[in-house]
Amino acid sequence: MKLKVLLGALLWTLLVSLAHVQLNIGWSQVNAIVREWMGHKRKTLDVGFLPVT
Amino acid sequence: MTQHSERGSEFAGRKFSEFATIKESLIARRLDASFILAPLAMQLVASGVPIKIVYLGHRDGTTLMVAKNSPVTDFAGLRGKKIAIPNRFSNQNILMHRMMKQWGMSFDSIQLIELPPPEHPTALAAGSIDGYIVGEPFPAQAELDGIGRPLYFTKDMWPNFISCVLVVRQELIDEQRELVQELVDGIAKSGKWLDADLAHRMDAAEVVGKHFNRQNPELLKFVLSKPPDRVKYTNLAPLKKDFDEIMELALEMGVLKQRLEFEQYVDTSFVTPLETLDWNMEQLPRPTAEATSK
Repeated sequence: MKLKVLLGALLWTLLVSLAHVQLNIGWSQVNAIVREWMGHKRKTLDVGFLPVT
Repeated sequence: MTQHSERGSEFAGRKFSEFATIKESLIARRLDASFILAPLAMQLVASGVPIKIVYLGHRDGTTLMVAKNSPVTDFAGLRGKKIAIPNRFSNQNILMHRMMKQWGMSFDSIQLIELPPPEHPTALAAGSIDGYIVGEPFPAQAELDGIGRPLYFTKDMWPNFISCVLVVRQELIDEQRELVQELVDGIAKSGKWLDADLAHRMDAAEVVGKHFNRQNPELLKFVLSKPPDRVKYTNLAPLKKDFDEIMELALEMGVLKQRLEFEQYVDTSFVTPLETLDWNMEQLPRPTAEATSK
């Protein structure tokens, strides 16, 4: 019984996490974060502008 | 501009309040890429700063404003008036001289004074100038506040007018060519998306106004829709014929002292046919709170 509850909780957490990534974060963002963890630093560039066309 | 591209690089806008600071930052290499005035880019190259124009920021998007109750109804009516321009090295300055030529007026028939763009509407309201010519949204602001009215849009004076261009330092082109390509492609794709549907422009006004420029979204919506061709975000490849005309006028006016060949200050190798570019909207991540607070 305890094992079933534990597995159910884990499955629920996994599903909610996947839904959160799909709806709120985006898979490319997750991909970028994972790449940073693995040492592939994201390239950055500041671009100057004036708030005028 | 995108905060995060599909390929994972991060492009962050760094907001300035005047072009002089941008110019100094480019010279000192505190900044490798920026949107600046087209003639200012030419002047920087002429003075030895290693930058290249790689794309345009937009087409049109500048308006010649007069006070709401002004009796002026056409360009000839500006004779003897005091009109603000954003900078000596702006294409707005060149446009005013181009118009004076077209209307058979001498170059000193209108008094042009330099003012930072945000000060234009307040100067008009205070009566210290008779009108101004500057990029949006500062003309629209006076229109919405009931203190000014458009005399001409650039689409009616100099169609496909160029104001701001994207410049990058040559070192960035040489060392990180892919990054520059990604930036240019991102601007092209964003412009294509913006011009595809008025609803896209309204969405963009909400996001940019609230999270990036800290400007009233309603003001930006007005700029992007009244009329819709007030500013355009496609046809942004830098064309030789456009820049040759700017160069000739700048030399004639004395804004530039030295003639430059197009290839000396423009690099067209980053321009990709627009039909081959599109955002994959499903893959675009949402901006983080940190990114939008910059």
